[in-house]
Amino acid sequence: MPTWKEKLAGKMDSQLEEEIDVFETQIALRRSGKLDEKIFAETRLRRGVYGQRYDNGHRHDGIRTQELQYLSEMTKGPDTLWDAPGMQRIKIPFGGLTPDQMDALAELAEEYSDGVLHVTTRQDFQLHYVHIDDTPTLMRRLAAVGITTREACGNSIRNVTACPLAGVCRDEVFDVTPYAKASSKFLLGHPDAQGFGRKFKIAFSGCRERACGLVNMHDMGCIAVKRVENGEEKRGFELYVGGGLGAVPHQAKLFDSFLPEEELLPISQAIARVFARLGEKKNRAAARIKFLVTKLGIDEFRRIVLEERKTMPVDPRWTGYLAAVEKYKEKPSREASPLNGRQRPEGFDEWYRTNVYCQRQAGYAVAAITLPLGDLSAWQTRGLADVARRFSGDNVRTTVEQNIVLRWVSEADLPDLYRELKRIGLGDAGAGTIVDVTACPGTDTCKLGIASSRGLAAEIRTRLAGKFFNLDEAVKNLHIKISGCFNSCGQHHVADLGFYGTSRTIGNRKVPHFQIVLGGKWQDNAGAYGLAMGTVPSKRIPEVVERITDRFVRERQGTETFQEFVKRIGKQELTTILTPLMQGPAYEQDPSFYSDWGDPREFSIGDLGVGECAGEVVSVAQFDLAAAERMVFEGQLRLDEGDYAQADALAYRAMLQAAISLVKTQFQDVTDAPDTVVNEFRTRFYDTQLLGDRYAGSRFAQYLFKRHLSPPHEHTRDQAHRTVEEAQLFIESAYACYDLLTERGGMAAPLRPPVHTEKAAGIR
Amino acid sequence: MDVHRLGIKVFIAEPVRLQVTDFIPIFHTWIQKQIVQDHLLVDVHNYSHIHHGPGILLVAHQGNFSIDMGDGRMGLLYNRKQPDSGTIHDRFVTILKFVLRGCCLLEADPGLARRLRFRTDELLIIANDRLNTPNEDATFLELQPALSALFQRILDGTEFTLSRYSKDPKERFAVRVQTNQSPEVKTLLARVS
Ligand code: HEM
Ligand code: SF4
Repeated sequence: MPTWKEKLAGKMDSQLEEEIDVFETQIALRRSGKLDEKIFAETRLRRGVYGQRYDNGHRHDGIRTQELQYLSEMTKGPDTLWDAPGMQRIKIPFGGLTPDQMDALAELAEEYSDGVLHVTTRQDFQLHYVHIDDTPTLMRRLAAVGITTREACGNSIRNVTACPLAGVCRDEVFDVTPYAKASSKFLLGHPDAQGFGRKFKIAFSGCRERACGLVNMHDMGCIAVKRVENGEEKRGFELYVGGGLGAVPHQAKLFDSFLPEEELLPISQAIARVFARLGEKKNRAAARIKFLVTKLGIDEFRRIVLEERKTMPVDPRWTGYLAAVEKYKEKPSREASPLNGRQRPEGFDEWYRTNVYCQRQAGYAVAAITLPLGDLSAWQTRGLADVARRFSGDNVRTTVEQNIVLRWVSEADLPDLYRELKRIGLGDAGAGTIVDVTACPGTDTCKLGIASSRGLAAEIRTRLAGKFFNLDEAVKNLHIKISGCFNSCGQHHVADLGFYGTSRTIGNRKVPHFQIVLGGKWQDNAGAYGLAMGTVPSKRIPEVVERITDRFVRERQGTETFQEFVKRIGKQELTTILTPLMQGPAYEQDPSFYSDWGDPREFSIGDLGVGECAGEVVSVAQFDLAAAERMVFEGQLRLDEGDYAQADALAYRAMLQAAISLVKTQFQDVTDAPDTVVNEFRTRFYDTQLLGDRYAGSRFAQYLFKRHLSPPHEHTRDQAHRTVEEAQLFIESAYACYDLLTERGGMAAPLRPPVHTEKAAGIR
Repeated sequence: MDVHRLGIKVFIAEPVRLQVTDFIPIFHTWIQKQIVQDHLLVDVHNYSHIHHGPGILLVAHQGNFSIDMGDGRMGLLYNRKQPDSGTIHDRFVTILKFVLRGCCLLEADPGLARRLRFRTDELLIIANDRLNTPNEDATFLELQPALSALFQRILDGTEFTLSRYSKDPKERFAVRVQTNQSPEVKTLLARVS
């Protein structure tokens, strides 16, 4: 039987294929102890391979903390056991999916996870309980359908999100899809976006007023705008930077009210470079770009970015994609036709009211699939893929409300579509309403979870669904969002009713609580954040929802929004509503308060681990040096197999790579042409004696010069063996040099212009 | 045949008397006692909100147990994750043993106080590996001898049929074992052990 690797060879994008091979080698290196656990942790995070609760080998079982005795003591990161189940995040740029991709995702959920696909609050998918050894195969099977997991986590540019209605929306200025796609592709793995101290999130929105893109809460947000210049209509973006949720939410600042479309990618790149260079690296709590923008002020930040923009070498990709933008078109699977007069199945009208959106294109509609807690099973995913093939074509998208939408459905098909959805249990009404509660993974799988956001979400959903059709219209359209802790992955800051998990002690025991955050604004691209009102025991939160919404219905003035209502009646009055609910009963009175929703274990916060949200700060140089080591390792393998030419070539490449990693600390835009690398390295590190003599650095540098100047005439075992050994020594000296420079604080060297040298490489 | 990710589902008779969430506290107790031989039990996950989904999952390192709701039929499913030694026949034996042990534990659980009984006139065997066991007749022909030998032994000569569960090439390969008798799970367990 061939392996998946053999079976899929040549069926993947060659770059993805190579990257996954590299990742597999990194796994092998870590297994054999040749790759540091911190570097490996950040390496896997940048492939979307995330830790999961209890992976430090401890779990409170309700009575005591158990040591989970995995067979191997090997780690995949600090305090993270190799065999412990983990999470795989799968990046879905702007949420765009095809039915074939859905089939593939379903297969992977079944074979490597627990049979469930989870849609995240940033349009990604997550698989849980995945073994790290399965991840390369999983990635290959994704690559075969054009999906990458690269930079889904870690200190990198995360999934680029966009309104799920982009292109079909009645209000949009223009379709942002091709721009989101181009940005995502351009920035993926971009060398200038590798040295961040924290993650960086980008969102696109087609208009200013509606919520779908949530631009204001992003590190970088782009809103479509048009302007007439010399009688010609031009497309551009209102560009925002420095927004972000997290414990301390920031509203994004306006960077440019009209960034012409051709400047979108270069300015993104310039922002990435400035963030990589000036962003905080040591204090993780202040490392997002929002802190840099606040520290510098938006005007100074803008000035630096525009300066940076001028120094950047021109890249044809900046504008290469623009020719195709106007032509970008999606293909419906069926002709447009109106709904009128068709027979409607039972439940259809209610579903239609909340889950169908009539597109700008007459006769077509978007149908939303309400996913409870963002989950759907492999079987449902396959079923939905078939439904999509029949009614929607390749036009499926995930949403930040953890749902899926099918676009370009002919209106006449809606009743049939609804019947099919019901058949696979996906015909629930209520998309985007109060029953459609958003929740982060929380204590179910997240290492930082304090209280059960998913348990609470399920409870609220069940209670409200029972009376949904009797709810007042004003209440129906409110949004509830829940995070398991203050980190706000569930986006509670932008909900009408937001909650985040905390813990309080009553008697000697811990009780799960939620902080209540009211009046955040989902509209206007997440235009305002909510106000914290106080904490209430978890088990009383459904009552909180009930009391506050009742009060809203009773006292609402005219068409007042919930935010206006909260503002009008004020925090003090709201606290009065909540105060009677804030105290929990004694354990003896009601022990149920001392365990969380859906989890009978006595509540504990002993399972809190160290989250990987910030990843490990690994500098670009450390990554590059690790890559050099990997190449020598591969060279060694080729040597053992008797492929001397390859062994020699890999060893040589490894030396160049090590040299590049040092050069880049001074000269970011160095090209990888061997002559240039050797020249730059010689001038900057050898001639200046920066390489130093710790571990005989200058002697080992000669190995690079020698191999560069005189490649072998014939490949023998002896010669290849020597080059591999020499490469290893050279890399050691590069590491020593790197360490020395870090000790001296010389690594964050400002960008210096390239050294132009006439000397031919190696002549000396 | 190099397939290790195998699963077996045993169906619950009269599931109307049970809620799938009834199993959450039971699985937590199993973890507290680490009661399942040869398994490191890790966590419980509630998927009861998914229509015909994995129900309640008990995650273990070697293989997961779940009160599975696939096809709307409640049953205990064991899904092997880590490789086993031995021939394909040996691996089926091991997995059958694990799932039957799970069934016996559940039937004996005081929390379910006689509400739960498994039926054994039908079993579902799932190969969770599309590479080695594509859902096609050839796979059936290849696995049939091992399965026949196994069930002849453990059904003690009772007649049985083996049939493919679904012919949809996207589904996993699965075989339904059917007989007209339904001995108790502990009887079957005694025969496999
Ligand atoms: C200090 C650590 C963390 C911080 C500050 C943090 C913060 C955030 C924020 C602010 C968001 C989303 C809102 C946005 O769009 O900007 C987010 C997304 C998310 N976070 Fe976290 N997070 C942390 C750790 C974790 C951990 C440990 C998990 C557990 C698995 C997790 C799971 C998620 C998920 C599932 C999303 C949606 C993700 C996506 O598709 O990109 N987060 N996080
Ligand atoms: S909000 Fe907290 S509990 Fe929820 S996923 Fe983020 S870090 Fe985990």
